[in-house]
Amino acid sequence: MLNLLTAEKIKLIRSKKLWIVLSIFAFFPIYQVANSRLAVHYGTELNQAIDTVINGATGVLMIEKNGLTILLVMSAFISFFIGEEFQHGTIRNALSLGRSRTQYYLSKLVVASSLTLVGAILLTLVGMISYSMVYGFGEVAGIRDYVPFAIKSFSTLYLLILANVSIYVMISFLTNSSGSSLIWSFLYTIGTGFGAGIFQHTEHFKHITFWFTESFLFYSNFAHPADIARFPEMAMVSLITILLTSVIGMVKFNSTDIK
Amino acid sequence: MSEVILKATNVSKIYGKHKALDKVSIEIQRGMIYGLIGENGAGKSTFMRTIMGLISINEGEIELFGETGVRGLQQSRRKMGQSIETPALYPELTARENLRVQAANGGVGDREIENLLQLMNLKDTGKKKVKNFSLGMRQRLAIACTLITNPEFLILDERTNGLDPSGIVEMREIIVRLVKERGMTVLLSSHLLDELSQVATHYGILHDGNLIRELSKEELARETRQYIELETTEVQKAVVVLDELAIRDYQVINGTDIHIYEQLDDVAKINRSLVLADVNVLRIGTTRQKLEDFFLQLTGGTHRA
Repeated sequence: MLNLLTAEKIKLIRSKKLWIVLSIFAFFPIYQVANSRLAVHYGTELNQAIDTVINGATGVLMIEKNGLTILLVMSAFISFFIGEEFQHGTIRNALSLGRSRTQYYLSKLVVASSLTLVGAILLTLVGMISYSMVYGFGEVAGIRDYVPFAIKSFSTLYLLILANVSIYVMISFLTNSSGSSLIWSFLYTIGTGFGAGIFQHTEHFKHITFWFTESFLFYSNFAHPADIARFPEMAMVSLITILLTSVIGMVKFNSTDIK
Repeated sequence: MSEVILKATNVSKIYGKHKALDKVSIEIQRGMIYGLIGENGAGKSTFMRTIMGLISINEGEIELFGETGVRGLQQSRRKMGQSIETPALYPELTARENLRVQAANGGVGDREIENLLQLMNLKDTGKKKVKNFSLGMRQRLAIACTLITNPEFLILDERTNGLDPSGIVEMREIIVRLVKERGMTVLLSSHLLDELSQVATHYGILHDGNLIRELSKEELARETRQYIELETTEVQKAVVVLDELAIRDYQVINGTDIHIYEQLDDVAKINRSLVLADVNVLRIGTTRQKLEDFFLQLTGGTHRA
C-alpha cells in the first residue's frame, strides 16, 4: 500500500491536474470576496442565510458556499486521475506486479480523499483570511463557542464532500474510462443535487432525499441550530455512503477484466 | 530437469459466446524464449493477460514458479515483468519519472534507473516528456519499466508493432541481450513468425483460441528447411531412381510432388539420373518453405496483402 502511495505521489506532483485543482480552490475565495465587496459597494447587504459567508468567522463554511463547485472539480479530477490509468494501460503495470486490487483501489481513494482535504483546508483558510481582510473576522450569529463549532462544521462538511468523492472513485472504477466517468459523475452530482429539491416538496419522498449527502450539503444552513443538530446524522449518512460505495467499487473492480 | 516457470493447464476464457482461449496448455521452463504466434485475435494477448492476472479465467489452472492459488500467484507475479500491447506509460512524465513510478509500484529502489536508461539508449532524453517520444523510444522505455524490478520472467506482447526495420532489429537485440546477460525467461508474442524465429527457442501456435502446435527451434528449422522440389508425372519411377542414388531423406507429398532433403547441391546430377531413367521431370529445383507459409499451412489461412 505504501509503495502504491509513493508511486501516486510521484505522478501527482508532476500532474497539471493537481495544480489546476489547487489553484481553483485557492483563487475561488479571493474571487468571491472581491465579488461580495463589489455587491456591497453597489448597495447590496450580505445576508448569512443567503450568502453563507459574510465575514472571517463564517469563512469556515466556505465548503458549504462552494459545495457544487468542489464536487464538480473533484469529480473531473477523479475521472481523469483514475480513468487515464485504464486508458493508458498503466494500471497493468501495478496490478501485474502482484499488487492487490483492493490495495490499488484504496490507494486511489486515499489520494482522492487527501487531495479533497487539502483542497477543503485551502479553500476554507483562504476564504477566512480574505473575508477577514475585507469584512473583519466578526462572528457567527447565535454561536457562542466558535472553535468547537468551526471544527464540527468543517469536519461534517468535509465528510459530506468525502462521501461524494467516494462515489466518484467508485464510478471511475466501474466505467474504466475518463469520459464515461466524467459524464456519470456529473449526472449523479446534478441529479441527486437538484433532483432532491424537487422531491423535498413531496411528503412521501422527502425523507429519501436525505439518504444522499448532497441534500444536506445543498439544502442545509450550517450556521442554523436546527441543522447543526443534524451534524451526527450527516456524518452517519456520509460514513455509510463511503463504506457502501467502497465495498461495491472494490468487489466490482476485483472481478473486472483489465484490457 | 529445468525449473518450470509457467504451467498453464487447460486455460479457457469465454467472452459471451466467443471462446477467446480454449483449453490452452503451455509449459515454459527456465531459460526458454517462448514465442507465441498467431494472427490478430488468435488469443495471444488474452493468454498473456490471464498469466498476469489482469483477466480472470473461466476454466483451467495457472501455476507460476510452482505456486498456485490467489496469494501464491500474487507473490509469484512480483518476479515477473510485462509489457502487453501498447507501451503503458505516463505521457506527461519523463522517462526517468516513469521508471521511478514503476520502481515505487514494485517496491524497489531507484538505483537501477540510470543503468536501464543506459541499456535502453534513453540516457539523453532528459526532461523530454514521454508524449514527445517516438514509438521506438516508448517501446524501449516500456521494456525498461518491466526490468526495473529485475524480473526472472518477462512477458512481451507484440513488441515490434509499429516499428521500422531498424527498430525491429534493435528490439530483437535488446531481447537477446536480456536473456544472455540477465538469464531471463521470456514469453514473446507476434503475428510475424519470421520475426519471432530470430529470437525464440520454442514456439506455440495459437489459432482461434486453440494451441494447435508446439515446437522447438530445431523442429521449426526442420519443418522449414531447404529442399529439392521435384515435380513429375511418374512418382514411383522417380522414387526408384532416388533409392538408386542412395537418397534416403525425401518425402512424397502427393501424386506429382516429391521433396528431397539431402544432396541439395546435386540437383543437376539427380535431374540427369531421372532423365536417363526415362522419368518425365516437369520441374526440379531447390526451394525453402517460408515460415509464413508453414504457419498458414498449420492455421489453414491464406496470404494476406
